[in-house]
Amino acid sequence: MILKTAWKNVWRNRVRSLVVIASVTVGIFAGVFSVAFMNGMIAQRFDAAIDEEISHIQITGKDYVLNNDPSIYMNSGDGIVQTVSVIPGVEQVVVRKMITGMAGTASKSAGVQIIGIDPDAEKRIFKLYKTIIPGTGDYFERESKYELAFIGQDLAKELNIIRFSVDITVLSRLGEKEVPVEIIHKLKSISGRRFPNEKKFTSTVTSILTKRELKEYGQLIKEEAWSYRENSRMTLTFLDKDNNQVSSVFRIAGIFDIKNTMFEQSQVFLRNEVISRLTGMDESSFHQVVIRITDIRNSESITEDIRSRFPELDVKNWKELQPDLAMMTDYVHQIYGLFMGIILAALAFGIINTMLMVVLERTKELGMLTAIGMNKRKVFSMIMLESVFLSITGGIAGMIAGWITIILTAKKGINFTQYAEGMEAFGYSAHIFPEISTSFFVMVTVLIIITGVVSSVYPALKALKLDPAEAIRTE
Amino acid sequence: MKILELKNVNKIYNGSEVHVHAVNDVSLEFREAEFAAIVGPSGSGKTTLLNLIGGLDMPTSGSIIIDGTDLSKLKSSQLIDFRMRNIGFVFQAYNLIPVLTARENVEFIMSLQKWSKRERDERTFELLKAVGLDERADSRPSKLSGGQQQRVAVARALASKPKFVLADEPTANLDSKSATTLLEIMEKLNHEEKITFIFSTHDPRVVKMAHRVITLVDGSVATDEIRE
Ligand SMILES: Nc1ncnc2c1ncn2[C@@H]1O[C@H](COP(=O)(O)OP(=O)(O)OP(=O)(O)O)[C@@H](O)[C@H]1O
Ligand SMILES: [Mg+2]
Repeated sequence: MILKTAWKNVWRNRVRSLVVIASVTVGIFAGVFSVAFMNGMIAQRFDAAIDEEISHIQITGKDYVLNNDPSIYMNSGDGIVQTVSVIPGVEQVVVRKMITGMAGTASKSAGVQIIGIDPDAEKRIFKLYKTIIPGTGDYFERESKYELAFIGQDLAKELNIIRFSVDITVLSRLGEKEVPVEIIHKLKSISGRRFPNEKKFTSTVTSILTKRELKEYGQLIKEEAWSYRENSRMTLTFLDKDNNQVSSVFRIAGIFDIKNTMFEQSQVFLRNEVISRLTGMDESSFHQVVIRITDIRNSESITEDIRSRFPELDVKNWKELQPDLAMMTDYVHQIYGLFMGIILAALAFGIINTMLMVVLERTKELGMLTAIGMNKRKVFSMIMLESVFLSITGGIAGMIAGWITIILTAKKGINFTQYAEGMEAFGYSAHIFPEISTSFFVMVTVLIIITGVVSSVYPALKALKLDPAEAIRTE
Repeated sequence: MKILELKNVNKIYNGSEVHVHAVNDVSLEFREAEFAAIVGPSGSGKTTLLNLIGGLDMPTSGSIIIDGTDLSKLKSSQLIDFRMRNIGFVFQAYNLIPVLTARENVEFIMSLQKWSKRERDERTFELLKAVGLDERADSRPSKLSGGQQQRVAVARALASKPKFVLADEPTANLDSKSATTLLEIMEKLNHEEKITFIFSTHDPRVVKMAHRVITLVDGSVATDEIRE
């Protein structure tokens, strides 16, 4: 009966209750969705780091990471691989040779890290081979009489291997894609021109188009305007094992595209045997052993295990390799909790305020109820239930709205193309797929109920202070 | 049988400047099935007296004994419970919970007392029939006239079979026809259920229907006459 009465009381002042419920709904929705958004962003960064960049555990010679000195290498790569492979929980092990050098083309050059890999083994640990830009080649798959190098999109752009130009074919392709004639007409003015880099191209296009045209068609124009010549060449210059400078010409095997500018600009992949041949480094010596494990939760214990077997080597897990990422994944739940806490605290004040008004308005009625024998506990629970109903109806509506929005956006993601440059500089994708765990929803539900209960306490106590004789005295 | 006794009851309101002696040395006795009116000019202490009898307020001195229980001996939580079981209230206004139907309002006290659904339904039907509102059982108070609302309040007051019903100016907001109807219903219930009614009023027609009339002047009992 009290439950029913409380529920009906909520709808006594329909407008006011709806306003409160709506604000709870909006607050919870915003909270849940922002958390899902942040969560998706971090999860994507995490997956990218593990699957494309560092994997779970890396072994190097002592202080290699610190000094980046190619003379710090491990002699018996195969022995290490054999030992590590049989440790329970280890899924895959690969070895890499790493040297630093310069990558150059006729027009440009850039400092890079050159990594020797075994492509077949590497595929079982890293997904880089899945990110190849269509039409730029493959992951060391085709036979070639030339030496092959696998590089990132940003390096390709920097070295002018990927070029931007608007020629007749680009213009006709844009025409087919229903780009308005006036834009094509404007683009004709830069037809045939060569741009030294992407930036220059972007700024030129920006200067000839209006803001609206750019917003609508900028991305499309960029996608159509870039071109890549197959079998492009690139020179790599580095030191051999006796510190003599070596230069060699490479063809591009393929170009990968991930969401990390730094990584794309700096990493050049060759076959291990090519590095051995060009530097004279021993076939069985390696700079780095990369390990993928079956369950990331065991990364610390497995790291310890490996460490104890190779005390003379540096063994680091992903948390030590990317402390910022580790911190983020460790504390992210507290941050979500805090975030939701702040939203709920704000909502609690709204509920307290409303319920105080309710108690004030119903002084006489509450007095009457105490007079006829409704005890304090029951008056208290009635007011409390009303607050809880307010917060729960709003909370559930907000969570459902948030959940639906997450499902809808999770499929295609939310694309912030205009911020891509800035976000990818930090290794974050600008195309975000919100995601959230069920446990988060459980936590929010609990928090909402707590909020409802907590914010009802003060108004309910006020209701108890009423003196029935005073309350019903009619003037 | 004596159900209610007031012994030398005083109530003094202590304001910052004035002390109001609202009830002055009142001693009264009520028996089963009485139908008593408390009358007197405005400010004579009718409401105060009824509040004291109902345990809504505590006397400054003297004692009020209901069916052998001295109200001043009860803790405040016990007092609320005691009211629920022994006293029915009808106020001048704000009697009903506006979001509940007539039926639910009558049921309310019984459900607080954890009566079974069947008992509740039976008693509610019986009472609403007695006050002539069985047809309007599912109407909310706002859909009922003032007189009908007061009749629901009377039904509610009787719901838990109290020792007596207190009504402070139950007809004050009613037209004379509704007032008479209400009093007739109260009188009938008084007769049928053998429940004592103590009500205050200004209305001479209502006073006329009482079987006992207690007149207060300045907080003291001036006359106490029984007529049949
Ligand atoms: N809470 C209070 N504090 C101080 N004085 C009070 C209080 N309640 C009542 N009084 C005073 O006590 C006296 C009796 O008041 P009471 O309300 O009992 O009279 P009443 O007979 O019910 O009058 P009415 O016919 O106008 O309802 C009045 O002088 C009133 O001003
Ligand atoms: Mg009065």
